Amino acid sequence: MKRNSVKRSLTLLLTAMLSLSLAACSGNSANNESAPTAAPPADATAAPQEEATLNPDEPAWKLDTSPIDLTWFVGANWYAHSWGESLTSKYVTEKTGVNVKLEVPSGEANEHITLMMTSGQLPDLISMGSWETAVKKLWEGDHVFALNELADQYDPYFYKVAGDGTLKWYRQENGNTYGVPNDSYSPNLMHETGMTAANQTFLVRKDLYEEMGSPDLSTPEGFLGALQLLKDKYPEYKGQPMSPFFAQGNVPYGMTEYLQNLLAVPHEKDGKVYDRVTDPEYLTWLKTFRTAYERGLINVDFLVDSDTQVEEKTNNARYFMMIREWTGMTAVNPLLAASANPDSYYIAVDGPQNSKGDSAKLFPGNMDGWMVTMISKSTKNPERAIRFLSYLASEEGQQDLFLGKEGETWETVDGKPQLKADMVNLIASDIETLEKQYGVLDTYWMMRNPVIVNQWRPEKAPVIKQMEDFANSQADIDSGIYKGLDPLGDSEVAVAWSRISQNWEEVLPELITAKDEAAFDKVFASFLERRDDYGFQQVVEFRQAGLDARKTKMAN
Amino acid sequence: MVRFRGEQMKAFFRQWQLQSMVIPGIVWMVIFCYLPMFWLVIAFMDYSIAKPMLESPFVGLKHFEAFVSDDRFWRSIRNTLGMSSIKLILGFPIPILFALLLNEIRSLRFKRTVQTISYLPHFIAWTIFGGIALNWLGEGGVINQLMMAIGLQDREILFNSDAKYFWWITFFTDTLKETGWSAIIYIAAISGIDPGLYEAAELDGAGRWQRMWHITVQSIRPTIAILFILAVSGILGSNFEQIFMLKNNMNMKMAESLDLYIYNMGLVSGRHSFSTAVLFARSIVSLGLLFMANQTSKKLTGDSIF
Repeated sequence: MKRNSVKRSLTLLLTAMLSLSLAACSGNSANNESAPTAAPPADATAAPQEEATLNPDEPAWKLDTSPIDLTWFVGANWYAHSWGESLTSKYVTEKTGVNVKLEVPSGEANEHITLMMTSGQLPDLISMGSWETAVKKLWEGDHVFALNELADQYDPYFYKVAGDGTLKWYRQENGNTYGVPNDSYSPNLMHETGMTAANQTFLVRKDLYEEMGSPDLSTPEGFLGALQLLKDKYPEYKGQPMSPFFAQGNVPYGMTEYLQNLLAVPHEKDGKVYDRVTDPEYLTWLKTFRTAYERGLINVDFLVDSDTQVEEKTNNARYFMMIREWTGMTAVNPLLAASANPDSYYIAVDGPQNSKGDSAKLFPGNMDGWMVTMISKSTKNPERAIRFLSYLASEEGQQDLFLGKEGETWETVDGKPQLKADMVNLIASDIETLEKQYGVLDTYWMMRNPVIVNQWRPEKAPVIKQMEDFANSQADIDSGIYKGLDPLGDSEVAVAWSRISQNWEEVLPELITAKDEAAFDKVFASFLERRDDYGFQQVVEFRQAGLDARKTKMAN
Repeated sequence: MVRFRGEQMKAFFRQWQLQSMVIPGIVWMVIFCYLPMFWLVIAFMDYSIAKPMLESPFVGLKHFEAFVSDDRFWRSIRNTLGMSSIKLILGFPIPILFALLLNEIRSLRFKRTVQTISYLPHFIAWTIFGGIALNWLGEGGVINQLMMAIGLQDREILFNSDAKYFWWITFFTDTLKETGWSAIIYIAAISGIDPGLYEAAELDGAGRWQRMWHITVQSIRPTIAILFILAVSGILGSNFEQIFMLKNNMNMKMAESLDLYIYNMGLVSGRHSFSTAVLFARSIVSLGLLFMANQTSKKLTGDSIF
């Protein structure tokens, strides 16, 4: 009897385990991926007869417009558009013969592409955030084609359209360039056009701010005063408690880099990379936040809320002040302005400033751009891939993707292409249809070149334009060079930096919730000590070397 | 061990259709659980994903030294043990009690309804369930409203911002989500008990409590023992998805479990060798725990896995 029951339970257990283990084991085996099977085939011998007809002034995609499928990995898990349904994508496929199959990662883009790298099977085209560690691995591991070599062989027109500046910016030590960026801004361009792609702003809810008499938020006293006023007079909105303050990207971004930019904390002093965290102005403001917390004027919700909770509060206009990029408000602000309380939208104002009252020095767009697009060596059609990329980079391709098809989505007015009025109306009323059905504007941004497309961009709604103009006016155009100097990846210095920054994420909340200034100073001092233990000196040297290298690059 | 005698072999071949059904499971296990063990060697290498494995240099115990000398590693061990202990000591009996109570319900329809409802949350992914839990725990959430309504609090508390609540939050959310599902195995075991035993006991004058204790509990004892042994060996594991959803910068002190540590310090920076080294060390300890629990159970109750 006993033996039987043991057996029976074992059977039961096995059944249960089999049904569960699928989930359990696959989670653990994520680290034990198989090794690369074989090097991707380098198809470098194809089609020599075409070379005779290659003309550097003529787009080569016109030579071959037979139907072909190219897979395109877009490294953003939120990217939800497809190819082949929208008018624009159909038009481009019809024109070039290229049918794109878009793929997005189910989770983190970096991990996803790393897994694909180990399996040796990569999509034809890959677009990845330029800061992602996997980009470097793709280049160093020889998983992607050097674009200059492909261009030499199949499409010299590429040089003409890709822009010498960006190609040079991404040129590696071996003389090759492996990716083309989108949204890449050179300082010259920004000076010329005033379009800086700066998106950092300090936002307040318009109605409350104006009812308060537009208080000065740039000094600690004014800041605390406004918060006190909010607590006394407007603790609730629509029956829910107000959240006085929010900082985007939590500790590492909103409360650190971003806040430092608002305070115009320099990046460099006397040629040396400046240690911005120890800046006295910055510390003064962290202490101001501590005081606000101690007095019950702010809560720590901005440090703990999940994305959904943040979204819910934003949509209901429950924040008073926000350290937040205006680009994240383009959908909400028009909705709030059209709601029952039309003044409950957000406007950009001067936020915290340093004691000298300098205006903010915001990050502009930079040469790195947003995503870089590469051609993988797994592709069977490198010649079609490079030609397609140079088509997309050219003015014609930019126009096709941004404006769509002439006569249907755009028309020529006064000799200039312009989106049709019904399209412009859709931007405000139903952006989803605009992107799904027509696929114009920013639907396919993988190769978007702001220099070219911004001339066709329709005027933005006033509630958005106010924020954008504010950011543009405070952009520190020449500070792009300081962005992303921190070490990434698995090197010793990168590990040191990752330990330091992860520790900072825990320390900053402790600073803000410290019971008095003495406790604040103590926590901060012990952080600095720990930082040195973790190897901060190495990080300093790494940043310095990076900055020096960039300066030489810019000078050439 | 079961020794195959001639007759058993014959029976085995006679049921080959049934027996062959297990083959996919075995193949799956070999591919996903046994073959990957070979790659444990990268724990001793400086492995780079962009290069073939054998080109990576051997570095001996470098990665093991790296985590043993990291104070955050020991903090994560403390957190893992803390959360697992609560789960083991308080959480382990809950599904058993639930199954026993459910078994006493006479109305079959009611019993089934309760069972179905109780295991439904299991099928909600933690990404969703965690989001719901965070809303409950927020300033305007159910828990704050409830506590304030019955007068246990006079103002909202951001439960998720205080590290001291974290272990209990994981315990309660996990219990809420998994009790019904974990009870299934006990319910199945209970349903296999010979009803004759109950009838005989009833004739002998045993009351409901006595029947529950002397028949039901004793009959499912082997099941309980096996699950307990496995639970003990899993004490260094944690529910990564759950913790990943509920953690934030303010409760990280108590939230960073071993799994999360591996993720933060290893995978985020692409340190595959380091991650493997930590996992490898954990597996060895877990194996030790499994043997220990098994021997203890064998001595105390006579029930064991092997």
